[in-house]
Amino acid sequence: MRDTDVLGSLLAGDDPNEGAPVAVERTSAIEALPPRSRAWGEIDVRSDTPRWGMLVDTERCIGCWSCAVICRSENDVALGMWWNRILTDGDDLDTPTVGAHGQLEMAWLPLACQHCDDAPCEKVCPTAATYTNDEGVVMVDADRCIGCRYCMAACPYGVRVFNWGEPEKAPGVTEGMVHARPVGSVEKCSLCVHRLAEGQEPSCVVSCPAQARIFGDLNAPDSRINQLLRDRGGDQLLKEKGTEPKVRYLPPRRRRSL
Amino acid sequence: MTTLAPPGSPTPATGQRRRAGLLWYVALAVGLAIGLFSFGYQLSAGLTVTGLTNTVTWGLYIVLFMFLVGVSAGGLIVVAGGELVGSHQLESLNRLAVIVSGTAVAAAAVSIIPDLGRPWLAWHMMVGPQWMSPLVWDMAVISIYLAIAGVDLWILTRPEPMARWLRIMAVVTLPVAVLVHSVTAWIFGFLVARPFWNTAILAPLFISSALVSGTALVLIVAWVVRRVSTWDPPAHVFTDLAKLLAWFVAVDFFLLLAELVTAYTSQTAYHLAPLEMLFGGRQAPLFWGQLVLGVVLPFLVYVNPRLRTRMGLLVGAATLSVLGVFAKRVNILMPGMYEPQIALPPGVPAGRADQTFELGALYVPTWVEYGVVVGILAFSATLITVGVRRFVIPRSDGS
Repeated sequence: MRDTDVLGSLLAGDDPNEGAPVAVERTSAIEALPPRSRAWGEIDVRSDTPRWGMLVDTERCIGCWSCAVICRSENDVALGMWWNRILTDGDDLDTPTVGAHGQLEMAWLPLACQHCDDAPCEKVCPTAATYTNDEGVVMVDADRCIGCRYCMAACPYGVRVFNWGEPEKAPGVTEGMVHARPVGSVEKCSLCVHRLAEGQEPSCVVSCPAQARIFGDLNAPDSRINQLLRDRGGDQLLKEKGTEPKVRYLPPRRRRSL
Repeated sequence: MTTLAPPGSPTPATGQRRRAGLLWYVALAVGLAIGLFSFGYQLSAGLTVTGLTNTVTWGLYIVLFMFLVGVSAGGLIVVAGGELVGSHQLESLNRLAVIVSGTAVAAAAVSIIPDLGRPWLAWHMMVGPQWMSPLVWDMAVISIYLAIAGVDLWILTRPEPMARWLRIMAVVTLPVAVLVHSVTAWIFGFLVARPFWNTAILAPLFISSALVSGTALVLIVAWVVRRVSTWDPPAHVFTDLAKLLAWFVAVDFFLLLAELVTAYTSQTAYHLAPLEMLFGGRQAPLFWGQLVLGVVLPFLVYVNPRLRTRMGLLVGAATLSVLGVFAKRVNILMPGMYEPQIALPPGVPAGRADQTFELGALYVPTWVEYGVVVGILAFSATLITVGVRRFVIPRSDGS
């Protein structure tokens, strides 16, 4: 089946198409790929008034923490804080759960701000520093935040972090793509709002080697996130709290046995 | 309190009293200095110098806030309560009770300041309040309550009696006082994220605890002022307060019992986790200690006609009641904070550069937090001392 002669001839240097413009051929090969492959990291389909949502496929997640790490550098998150982290379903970070029939199983829960439609943090903020923007992203306006931390007490997901002292960075790290937040203010995931403005997906989505995160516009019926939500559903974390998160989770169809 | 004149003569020698008074002022000044220094240090370094983390985001400052709001109930009981039931039994305590109440509310408002990460922006709450937030409601009712205490004191210190106005004020005070304690409870009680606080009984429980600590503190302050000055209220006021306290302690205990029994019999995990912390976990010493020393022991003194007439025992019981209510505030705040709703490893990022993730980390206040608390208590004691000297102790007294 495999035409070893082509490889052999290439290695021998006797190119049958000697003298032909190689560069043009390469370009045409790339053009032949579907448009989505060229625009990797761009938001696929969006409506006029987007309402951003994220779907996390826990079956695809391999617990590598890539999304958590890139989030730190993208958003200039100080040492000791994380906007996004990967929880292990088990006794310890690296200790799997014992599953059915005594088999060892491993599963992870990537956790960041759930961008609730009915956000408890927003309701309790005394200065409206926490608000939902026009595109459904729950934001913190650091200039208005007085640092009372009521939002942290109100958040059922425990995803908010506080600047207890002056933000510290690892040696050699200069800054991320956004400004660091001032001491005494609360911060959290913004769905990379600065990237959304440029039509780019959040950095945790593009950095996921397992493509476990699907990002998109919940108002656009044809967006991939809506297709998947239709086909496979999507659970909300702590649904009984009634917070209506826009981050949904696809449960594993099968557990990963070790 | 150790600088007071020794017992024996009802009017100790003037020189001795002067010396005790001077020592008291020195102690207040030292307390204020400790508080200002600690707060200044915290302002320069940030809240990183506290023991708080991203798990336990509220600590000693918020406990003190809850406690001080509660203590402010004393004035309501003595002045408005007496006025509304048409009783003049406690009339001689009116001014003192209003001073204690007003001080407590003022100190509660002050105690929020050090808890803020950026206190210099606190004016945002007044200029652009977000009215859905119970914190904004609390700011409003506390301001109203402080104003009421001021008006009450003004009415009570007029040379001519203003009985009609006192009655009108009593009618206004009662709903506002109920609101002050309820709204403070709702700051916690409205949070679906904290099942331990998210219970309808929290507001009634805050009111009952407020009645206990407020009445007990009026009793203690009245006793101290009587010891160190020529002010001499009729002896029956202390037994009257003791009888009231017996009722308040019983109701406060009953409401707590009703909540704990209901939560425990539900046997749901999110109810049981904080209860286990109280019954046998890290809060157990404070919980059982509070029940025995802060509820049962004082109650026995309040209900027993022979015991409650012995002043030393009565004041000791009232002190235990006040400390017990403080411990109860700790036992309400901490179990609600310790356990995150999603408690999977590695947990919550603690927040500082030298910290990693934590799950069920223990909160231990730092010297800075204790220092600020000492300062706020010294501030309260200063206000009470000045108010009592100005408005309670008869002017004929040489001091």
